[in-house]
Amino acid sequence: MVSLLRFAGAVTSFAIIASPLVAQRSSPAVYAITNARLVPVSAPAIERGTLVVRNGLIVALGASVAVPADARVIDGTGLTVYPGFIDAYGTLGMPSPAPAAAGAAAGGRGGGGAPGAAPSAPNSTQASGLQPEVAVVNELGPEAGAFSAANAAGFTTAMTGIGNGVFRGSSAIINLDGTNVSELIVRNDMAQQLAFSRGGGRGGGGGGFPGSLFGVFAAIRQELLDAQRYREVSAAYAKNPKGMVRPAYDPSLAALQPVLARQQILVMAANSQREIERALDLAKEFNLRVMIAGGSEAYKVADRLKADNVPVLLAINFPRRTTAPAADAEPEAIRVLRERVEAPKGPAVLQAAGVTYAFHSGGAFTDFLANVRRAVTAGLSQEQALRAMTTVPAQLFGVADRVGALEPGRIANLTITKGDLFAAGTTVSQLFVDGHPVTVAQAAAAPAAAGGRGGGRGGPPGELQGEWNARLAFDGAEHDVTFTFRQENAVLAGVLEGSFGSAELLDGTIAPDGTFRFAAFLMHHDGPERAQFSGVWRDGVLTGDLAVPGHGASRFTGSQGH
Amino acid sequence: MATIHEGLMTKSALLVAMVACAAVLPAQAPATLIRNATVLTVTKGTLPATDVLLQDGKIAAIGKNLTTPSGAMVIDGTGKFLMPGIIDPHSHMMSDATNEGSLSVTSMVRIADVLNPTAPNIYRALAGGTTMLNILHGSANTIGGQNAVVKLKWGRPAQAMLVPGAMPGIKFALGENVTRKNSNTVIVQGQAQAPRRFPTSRMGQEVVLRDAFTRARDYQATWADYRARLAKKEAGLIAPRRDLELEPLVEVLEGKRYVHAHSYRADEMLMLLNLADEFGFKVKTLQHGLEGYKIASEIAKHGAGLSTFADSWGYKIEAYDAIAYNVAILMRHGVVTTINSDDDGRARRLNIDAAKMMRYGGLTEDEALRIITYNGAIQLGLQDRVGSIEVGKEADVVLWNAHPLSVYASPDYTIIDGEVFFSKESDQKMRTARATERAELEKAEPNQAPSGRGGAGGRGGAGAPTATPAGGVR
Repeated sequence: MVSLLRFAGAVTSFAIIASPLVAQRSSPAVYAITNARLVPVSAPAIERGTLVVRNGLIVALGASVAVPADARVIDGTGLTVYPGFIDAYGTLGMPSPAPAAAGAAAGGRGGGGAPGAAPSAPNSTQASGLQPEVAVVNELGPEAGAFSAANAAGFTTAMTGIGNGVFRGSSAIINLDGTNVSELIVRNDMAQQLAFSRGGGRGGGGGGFPGSLFGVFAAIRQELLDAQRYREVSAAYAKNPKGMVRPAYDPSLAALQPVLARQQILVMAANSQREIERALDLAKEFNLRVMIAGGSEAYKVADRLKADNVPVLLAINFPRRTTAPAADAEPEAIRVLRERVEAPKGPAVLQAAGVTYAFHSGGAFTDFLANVRRAVTAGLSQEQALRAMTTVPAQLFGVADRVGALEPGRIANLTITKGDLFAAGTTVSQLFVDGHPVTVAQAAAAPAAAGGRGGGRGGPPGELQGEWNARLAFDGAEHDVTFTFRQENAVLAGVLEGSFGSAELLDGTIAPDGTFRFAAFLMHHDGPERAQFSGVWRDGVLTGDLAVPGHGASRFTGSQGH
Repeated sequence: MATIHEGLMTKSALLVAMVACAAVLPAQAPATLIRNATVLTVTKGTLPATDVLLQDGKIAAIGKNLTTPSGAMVIDGTGKFLMPGIIDPHSHMMSDATNEGSLSVTSMVRIADVLNPTAPNIYRALAGGTTMLNILHGSANTIGGQNAVVKLKWGRPAQAMLVPGAMPGIKFALGENVTRKNSNTVIVQGQAQAPRRFPTSRMGQEVVLRDAFTRARDYQATWADYRARLAKKEAGLIAPRRDLELEPLVEVLEGKRYVHAHSYRADEMLMLLNLADEFGFKVKTLQHGLEGYKIASEIAKHGAGLSTFADSWGYKIEAYDAIAYNVAILMRHGVVTTINSDDDGRARRLNIDAAKMMRYGGLTEDEALRIITYNGAIQLGLQDRVGSIEVGKEADVVLWNAHPLSVYASPDYTIIDGEVFFSKESDQKMRTARATERAELEKAEPNQAPSGRGGAGGRGGAGAPTATPAGGVR
């Protein structure tokens, strides 16, 4: 796959050299959207105007703009045109997990399988999961339909990164239409990404240091210290190599230099209040330029985020009850009930505190627009909400001169809705990405949206229903649990029972290719902990990872009960 | 109480953000006068019908008929018992990680990196009179991680709970918990077998220690050499690599970090004490030490303390020789001995464990109290600051409704640095407030099941109890 991609990349680069002005497609494309409501975000809305797209760029917009003779005219009556929305954090376009073969040995890099293939960093001297030199640009490979769910939510652009490891390497800003790196990349080497769990394929359950949360902190700290010393030694050698033993080249430590020098942003995944506080402490310890990604409890740390001047890439993926409680279920923890009520108020709290924030979908594309409206109902202004998915991320990512607003000269990324975005039930009717119309799979949402995905994998394996016995390898011990699943289209619900108590499955989704995600609160010795399960159902077996804040990455496997 | 503390939390969070995170000043609580209580000072005997004034986070005065400073809160202690806050020398509470079990030496990991200040067990321990914890790494490997000493300031950020100036410590572990890692025969379908990790025997554990401290000595020498050259202003010097694994071990060698060593059998404890003598460091405490009574004189001679269970034994092979008289025998041999919980539930009733030691071995009341207060302070190097009721000490005190060595006793107030962090009265109010809040929340839209499938209604508004005060329960 990788070599094929590289080959494709090489061919496309050649094409670019041959005709430098047409970066994306060969056919010239001129479009005029007339009679539409235009919302540039960076300027006041134009109630009835024309927007002209030529060769991938916006060339004109206004109430009295002439339609060029060579334009294909789209009658925009009743339509509203926004700048294409930016999904500020995620793994869009990354290859989906390889089928996790049961019994596969963990190999050098641990865990095997599950979200995202292991990025290649063959020459690293660092422990598995600590390779900042990996880069999304070397791994990117969208499957057919990989962007359709994101497109349906209005996203034309995203920051995408590798989904596993502690140091996750360089992310990129991509446009969400195209099949290869050459077409997709808007800005490469965007940010270094970090998470406080190794996650999935790079040494999850498989073992090795670091295998715990404090191990992860120690490993990060040592690697940053080593990188500081590497800088010092390399500088001394560069100044005068005579008589000095040549410092050993280290690709991992070299890759951290822009981060140490505050030239490259470090995006740190952190959700709970304490995860965010720890991330901020670490940033302070090493004087790093950081952003927090996820931030589900960022509103509880708003003052500190403001004081430290740290922006948040905020997941607009609010929790809510998805199923009725089982008749004999314990009452839910008050913390869980509170979080569901408080979370939608979070963006308004951040706004009031003066924290800079951009939205991301958290992978919940189907509910994205509904969740944005929930944030607005909970006190955020529509303008603020709109900026958080257009101009603000564009500025944060240093691409405000290219995307994020309707202005002449910018990339023609457009999100077009029938009616106002903030009216209940409004859906995205059409996108332009790089000046090309992208048809949006119509609303019935999740199942349809996910439809294109994994079509080549032999179709859906049916519905995930009934009792499944599973074993979780968690905190160094094995735990047996029973899942009772109920699948309705793309929604996965049910309960988990076993050594962690009884818990409802939350925010569950399943794609036709059998990949699924859900969360559940596990009763742990210090109270309920939210565990995020992600995995795949294939050949009658469930395999995947679970991530619990504060605990090392863990794996689970399951088979149908009787 | 809930609202008071939430308000305080915001303020102190701001404080932490503004002041550098490392040095958090104790919050200034209003003065509190506890009137007419039986004061169990632990170090200076029992004082009947005595007043204790808490001011600026310290114990300001002890005596009869003290004057009430203006603005002071007065608590009537008539018929009640005031004792120092309980110190639990071995806990894993409020830690988001317990073991870094991948390697045999994980001195680089720090409990302080992963504290969870919102763990409900903090509040429950307060309700049992516990005010200070020594939070330790687990016992999966020979040299574990760095400890954290905290005061249970429920509602505050983790940084505000860390005890400033507390001597840093590190966990070591000997015996079966270390070797057990290697006898793991559970092979899960689809999972790789856990790789075998050296050592698999007690002999191997000694080798791990010897190797680690030998490396630490070399590392210490490397830095000493560098510093000497630096002092001579030698040109072109580059500092040696900082090694987070060896740094804490150098601190142990230099007496700047306490060793808290999980150990059960007499032979392994002796091995460690001998090895420590050889490398020139002290073992501050032997943790568990169920066979400590067999080598009480040797432990006393080394100067180590010992922290054990009151009456837990037989739960694994190395725990077979435990006896209930362990504490008393060690105390009589001059070993600074404590009882610890090693468990979030037991941390709520350490007073009962202490009382058992009067039955087994005939400890006096003061001695029984000492093993959950003052001796713990010694084991953490904080005996000049906490562990007894003396003027000038930090105001960590508990007012009990009965003598704390009685099964009928439970705390009415738990006070840290002069601030009330638990009281039965506010706990009752909080329960009512919680029940109301829960009822409201359950009605809220995001807590309803979609498409009218039942919903959350009818599931009883009464909130789950927020705490189980210790004592009088069973």
